[in-house]
Amino acid sequence: MSTLALQSVSYKYEGAEKIIFKDVNLQFEAGKIYTIVGKSGAGKSTLLNLLSGLDTATSGRVDFCGENLSEIDRDRYRAQKAGIIFQSLNLLTNATAIDNIVLSMNISDVTGVDKKARAFELLDKVGISQEKAHRKILKLSGGEQQRIGIARALAHDPMLIVADEPTGSLDGDNETKVLEIFQSLAHDEGKCVIIVTHSDDVTAMADEVLSLEEGIFRLLPEAGEKAPDGAILNQSAQLGARG
Amino acid sequence: MYVLEHALLNLGRNKGRNILLGVIIFAIITASVITLAISNTTEAVISETRYTFERMVRVAPRQIIYGEESVTLEQFHYFAESEYLVGADIRENPMSMSGIEAIYFLKQPEMLYDFEAELRNKGLPDNYSVVTENATFKNAIGHLENLQNITFTFLIIVLVLGAFIMVLLSVISIRERKYEIGVLRAMGMKKKTVALGLWIEILTITCICFALGMGAGAMLSQPISNMILAGQTDSINVDVSVSILTAIQILGVSILLASIAGIVSISRITKCEPVKILMERN
Repeated sequence: MSTLALQSVSYKYEGAEKIIFKDVNLQFEAGKIYTIVGKSGAGKSTLLNLLSGLDTATSGRVDFCGENLSEIDRDRYRAQKAGIIFQSLNLLTNATAIDNIVLSMNISDVTGVDKKARAFELLDKVGISQEKAHRKILKLSGGEQQRIGIARALAHDPMLIVADEPTGSLDGDNETKVLEIFQSLAHDEGKCVIIVTHSDDVTAMADEVLSLEEGIFRLLPEAGEKAPDGAILNQSAQLGARG
Repeated sequence: MYVLEHALLNLGRNKGRNILLGVIIFAIITASVITLAISNTTEAVISETRYTFERMVRVAPRQIIYGEESVTLEQFHYFAESEYLVGADIRENPMSMSGIEAIYFLKQPEMLYDFEAELRNKGLPDNYSVVTENATFKNAIGHLENLQNITFTFLIIVLVLGAFIMVLLSVISIRERKYEIGVLRAMGMKKKTVALGLWIEILTITCICFALGMGAGAMLSQPISNMILAGQTDSINVDVSVSILTAIQILGVSILLASIAGIVSISRITKCEPVKILMERN
């Protein structure tokens, strides 16, 4: 069973005429890294909002492990099943890094672990020192904030990681470190990692690359591979993402 | 439990806003303490005075009478020998209608009719009335009633204005904290948990202000009462004190104010969809 499955999903903003995408069928499986590429404004972040349960499709359904997201408690889903890394970070700016992560664990009802110790461990993993962990978010650089956002998304050990431009503010070393984390999460821990990106480095390490253009999702070939025929993932093409 | 911890940490994180909120709540509570303390004490004094005057019975002719029809000094003393009385004040007074002024002090105000019946049996003519000292009472408490009216009006103004300000502050506060609410909701915090956190914050501020306001109110109510009464002729002193009743009433007012703010917060939060908040912000 797919971790996430989109069935005939269409989306348009409330009151808007333009349809962002129509009749999309996609499947995302555990143990894989997916990247979604496309021009700004194409609807990539909108797709992530649907996958992370922040928004609902205009029509069609999004299933998480076979359950329709619009029929389950989406707060619980976000708190326990999905780890969301926002492009705009969305951290509590007047709280410290450690407080942000511990709060995330509290919301997720994480039990049986020393939350502070786990938070420090995660921060260390993304290269944030203990001294910086006690600083308020606003007193940290953009790159540091981005890594804290990543640590927070992993704090409750989610099955699904949804990331919107997670390496946008990172330097080369930190980008490599973060990509290694994503690879380990997918390939060693069997998580499903979905990343929206413009970065070639991120795209290069993905197991599947999807492009979104003019509301049409296409499965891109791997480097050196010939583009498969009819790799359009909207219903008109009657295809799903390759497994 | 973490909601409480997060709310208390938030108090320190948003010092500026919380201090402003605290100052306003403190002012409302202090004003309420002062007005309620004065009002309650005045009420007690009026009640005590009423009790005293209701027990004072004047026996006097309904109109000027002369000769045989008038009650003699001995008869008035005879009337004083009654099981309904705790005492009497009988004296000759040439200025009064019968030349004698007789006031009897009942054990209980409700014994008036029994006492009058006894006097009639003892020979008190019908042209004599047996009445309590209502006029004297009304004269004595006039200033106190003025004071009570002033404080009551002031209390209503304080409470209405206070509730209005609290609603306004809550609306502003939610607007200001919309992003924070959006982040918490995006992390999966439920609406009711977010609302509970905000309510705990406002309740904590209110509790601190309650303690400070009670102290300040207790200190200020006596001088303010004296100031209001000073402008009146024949003024009497009222020893204002903050009673348990006042404390309970203020606690009720405080919880009411915090709840008003809480309800406004909750109603605003239920309209907050995280994706919309975060998109607006970004």
